[in-house]
Amino acid sequence: MRTPGLGRQVVRAGLIGATAIIYCAMVGLIEQLDPRKIVGSQLSIAGVLFLGLPPIIAAYVATRPRQVRGEEVQPGIGEAALAGALVGLIVAAITMAAIGLANLLGIDTTRNIFKSVSPTLLGILYLHRSAVSGLAILSVVIVLLGAFGGVLRACSVGVRRPIVIGLSSVVGFGMLQRIIPTAMDQLGLPKAWLYSTTYLGLTWFGAVLTFAVAAGLTVLFMRKGSQMQRGIVWMTGGERQARTAEVIVLVVILLLLPFVAGTILSQILGSVGIYVLMGLGLNIVVGYAGLLDLGYVAFFAVGAYITGVLTGGLLITTLGLKAPAFHGGLSFFIALPIVILAAALVGVLIGAPVLRLRGDYLAIVTLGFGEIARALFTSDWLKDIFGGTQGLTKIPAAPIGSLDFRNPRTFYYLVLVFCILAAYIAWRLQESRVGRAWNAMREDEQVAEAVGVSSTRYKLLAFALGGAIGAVGGALFAVQIGSLNDASFTILVSITTLAIVILGGMGSIPGVVVGALVLIGVPGLLSEFQAYQLLVYGAVLMAVMILRPQGLIPNVRRTRELHEEERAQDKWAGDLVGDEDVVAEPSPLGEGSG
Amino acid sequence: MANMTGVQPAPAAAASLNRYARLPWRRIIQIALAIGITLFVVVGSFRTLQSNTYDASTWKDFVILGVAQGGIYALIALGYTLVYGVLRMINFAHGEVFMFGAFGSYFFATAYASSGFLNRNPVVALAIIFLVAMLVSCSVALLLERVAYRPLRNAPRLVPLITAIGASLFLQNTAFGLWGPQARAYPVPNILSGDQTWTILGITMQRIQVVVILTAIIAVACLSLFVSKTKAGRSIRAVAQDREIASLMGIDVDRTIMLTFALGGLLAGVAGVQFGMTFGQVHPYIGFVPGIAAFTASVLGGIGSIAGAALGGLILGLLESVGPPLLLTGFHIPSPFQLKPVITFSVLVLVLIFRPGGILGSDEPDKV
Amino acid sequence: MSLLEVRGISKHFGGLFALNDLEFSVEEHEIVSVIGPNGAGKSTLFNVITGLYHPDGGDIRFRDESIVGLTPNQITRLGIARTFQTVHLFPNMTVLENAMVGQHCRSKAGVFGAIVRSRRQRTEEERIRAGAQEALDFFGTKLAGYRQDQPAFVLSYANRRRLEMARAMATEPTILLLDEPTAGMNPHETLVLRDQIVRMRDERGLTIVVIEHDMRVVKGVSDRVVACDYGQKIAEGSYDEVANDEHVIEAYLGTKAVG
Repeated sequence: MRTPGLGRQVVRAGLIGATAIIYCAMVGLIEQLDPRKIVGSQLSIAGVLFLGLPPIIAAYVATRPRQVRGEEVQPGIGEAALAGALVGLIVAAITMAAIGLANLLGIDTTRNIFKSVSPTLLGILYLHRSAVSGLAILSVVIVLLGAFGGVLRACSVGVRRPIVIGLSSVVGFGMLQRIIPTAMDQLGLPKAWLYSTTYLGLTWFGAVLTFAVAAGLTVLFMRKGSQMQRGIVWMTGGERQARTAEVIVLVVILLLLPFVAGTILSQILGSVGIYVLMGLGLNIVVGYAGLLDLGYVAFFAVGAYITGVLTGGLLITTLGLKAPAFHGGLSFFIALPIVILAAALVGVLIGAPVLRLRGDYLAIVTLGFGEIARALFTSDWLKDIFGGTQGLTKIPAAPIGSLDFRNPRTFYYLVLVFCILAAYIAWRLQESRVGRAWNAMREDEQVAEAVGVSSTRYKLLAFALGGAIGAVGGALFAVQIGSLNDASFTILVSITTLAIVILGGMGSIPGVVVGALVLIGVPGLLSEFQAYQLLVYGAVLMAVMILRPQGLIPNVRRTRELHEEERAQDKWAGDLVGDEDVVAEPSPLGEGSG
Repeated sequence: MANMTGVQPAPAAAASLNRYARLPWRRIIQIALAIGITLFVVVGSFRTLQSNTYDASTWKDFVILGVAQGGIYALIALGYTLVYGVLRMINFAHGEVFMFGAFGSYFFATAYASSGFLNRNPVVALAIIFLVAMLVSCSVALLLERVAYRPLRNAPRLVPLITAIGASLFLQNTAFGLWGPQARAYPVPNILSGDQTWTILGITMQRIQVVVILTAIIAVACLSLFVSKTKAGRSIRAVAQDREIASLMGIDVDRTIMLTFALGGLLAGVAGVQFGMTFGQVHPYIGFVPGIAAFTASVLGGIGSIAGAALGGLILGLLESVGPPLLLTGFHIPSPFQLKPVITFSVLVLVLIFRPGGILGSDEPDKV
Repeated sequence: MSLLEVRGISKHFGGLFALNDLEFSVEEHEIVSVIGPNGAGKSTLFNVITGLYHPDGGDIRFRDESIVGLTPNQITRLGIARTFQTVHLFPNMTVLENAMVGQHCRSKAGVFGAIVRSRRQRTEEERIRAGAQEALDFFGTKLAGYRQDQPAFVLSYANRRRLEMARAMATEPTILLLDEPTAGMNPHETLVLRDQIVRMRDERGLTIVVIEHDMRVVKGVSDRVVACDYGQKIAEGSYDEVANDEHVIEAYLGTKAVG
């Protein structure tokens, strides 16, 4: 049996897989992430993610079931294995050719242009052996991984899912090497059997065990999942109670987390929390109201700087520290309501001029407002208040009695409280009359107007509320790090927050949490990743929009909206104003704008 | 009130409006804004000129710098305008296309500089450098179209925009990964170096600025001719008008869109070399700010219009170089150029508020 | 004083007059049909009344107050609801939610209410739901039952039209403007809708202005018929009067040959 079109898919996937590997090598990802081992002394993050994953995914995609003359055709296991191996072969061949080319030109010449193509990189690709034997082993491994990818695709779900989850768990546990061992120490458990003391990653025994446990649990859950759920419902005495119980368990875990984990994790969780807040705020603007705000950093800056000034931050000058022209000395909790009001006001001010703008123009203009905010806060002009590019320092850490919130653990609780509050507010709004009005406005602004929803009011409301929540994020940021300067308020804050919302799924509250955990938490855990954080955000934005526009944890309604092309045949033709009369739409600003 | 079966219509209470609600707020705010800005501009410039902070030759330098900067903006703005005209999409990553052109040509320029070819035979060397930059930018633009935008042709409007933002970030950091963050000195042939001047019509200008302005003019002219006179140009205009109808008329829409991206890329490449030679350096982040500024320029001139992009670029270049000292010095604001982005974006916002179609654009709005 | 008075309204697009000094009024509890050939300016009239377009001249008075210059949502709140010639729903919201948006302008709960979930907010939410439900129930089983929780885009064409009317009715209007409500419906559905339009007036006390091409519907529902052409009123009166008016016949059939 020969699946039609498979050959082309194999070549295509092979080319893409090879491009991925060469790209990762050339931008320096492989070299940077190789020292971080996941399992034993051999498997590094670079090896797993940038050398191992591309052939697997390429082969997996190449052998996916396809429509052939209206029928779904899935290559059988043997054929899939062969096709996958071929994909791997192409990947390996091209990669080897690229390595050869680099050697041919001379590493020094190549390095003059592409700084990452270094002897160290080649050493990694040779698997720290001699060139010939290392590359031979690498090629064989890539081919085998390709075959594995093909087989994986051809398996039934019952086999595939445990394997995938098992392997992902190994990688995940490997990446958590700074967290889990610390936690085990704290709990007084022995850890040497699971994590290697010399290489920090999992031991081979630990890896196999992790795989077995994760895969086993998956199998168990797939077989008995519904029974287990019923069991929980039975034990707690009803669906509703079961949900409440789940929430309580979640909250208890969240509360205990800093005690189990060390300072590092608490610190990371604090940053994640700040971005959860920011994400929840931006989610109101982008996800609920459908206004793409690229200048969200403005609110973050407003929150941070106003908190800094009001609570008594100091200016950094060449002559040492001095009090700003406006020196507050308020307690954080008294300053916070002022910050929130100020941010809501800024939201209205930013929102008002862009009310009539169409989505993409609105995005660019808000981006401009973000830049304006940064330029103003860090300008020499307002230096006496906000400290120019040097910024503010010695911002008090929001103490209540003897509790000092600069301590990562206590700060974590402070952030957690605000996150829960913000999530509750976001959830209530979504379910309310206000949420419905936002929905209607997002789907069709003019029709919403005609049905009685004031788009002016609800746009401004979204900006004000989203801004207020974002400003709380900024205020907490000021408390967390205690000093502010221009580097903290670039457009990247806006983009990061946007990436979180997009990855999680626009309009989805759990999505924001997951998005922040992935995009803030992972780079926090792997400091080597930080230089590539933005590269990853860019890739995430593109990939999510192209492959899964509804995000990881989709909001049901947004999912429908984002799949317009699937409804194309069901398209509701016609122009709002009707095709009977002369169609001339009012300009975006209506009359009197000429 | 849920009682809708009652014959009596909705109660009169619901039917009255606050009398402030009847005021034309938008108009009032617009007029107030217009008056405020006019006052700011007039008072600011008057006080600056009165204070004599800058002498006449400084002002002249500001203007020439502005025109040269405007030329670069115009070339990038053309890329935005072309793509917007055809796809109704803001190609946010266009600034990075420009950056890649500058970087690509940089390696040739340094090689020629170290071998002495750049100064021995500057015209040929420059031609090659420009060509390389154009090719690199063009390939990046085409790749971008194929990988990031084509799968999203029919998606809701914000989806490709978010993708474009992602692409911008991705390309920027790819450059960072490939070449590192540090700024590199872009070699300039001696005949164009900073102290070399030409005097044209009694105005002494740096040669490099003359070259920038001239190439910009030539590029705009060529592009206008291409779009208005050739068959391919006609198909671009047809696709811009209505993609579906154009495809029914036998125009290959995919190819036309690729052509549009290619043209934008070529011009961005030219701008890349000009930028490198004018400012003497390249690094991975040079694309972002000029990209946004050029987008502003294209909106200012009227997005979708070629002449508009050129004019918008020129005006924005002037505003950015003359605006901060002229308007802000009068108010004793220190380091006025720090607030350049404020000027740029204020211009963008004001254009969109008062004349969304731009200077040369018709106010014919797009379908929502 | 009429309920709605359109006084000398003009609207032009470029050099073309879509409405040219148009004049007409609507009394309370009346059903008025607006007829005219394509391009006569009928939909523009609705767009001007509901605030989507700003008229170039003239005045529109509702309960003797000018509504020119108000935003569409303000006009809806005053009690003028409409449907569109081509159906415009919120396709990804459920059927019930669509109707609930209609109740928006008759309810108040804001951010604070939503967050604290006060008793008042909950009763209001229930009232919104009941009001929307009622509006949907007007169309019998068509928009009831399992359909209420389906997204609007899965509805059939006729049901979309019905939902749009229900949504407009949920705004609790005084006047309902229906733009070609029977377009795209089959003959049976058209007849049912004809009776429903009359019921809207009789049972709910609505005043209705309807743009319609189907003369059976016009004949069946109208207290009065207004005929337009080139943005001007060319005839007005009972169905029979207008149907036999020579200007109207001319407008529909072209200029009569002389002699």
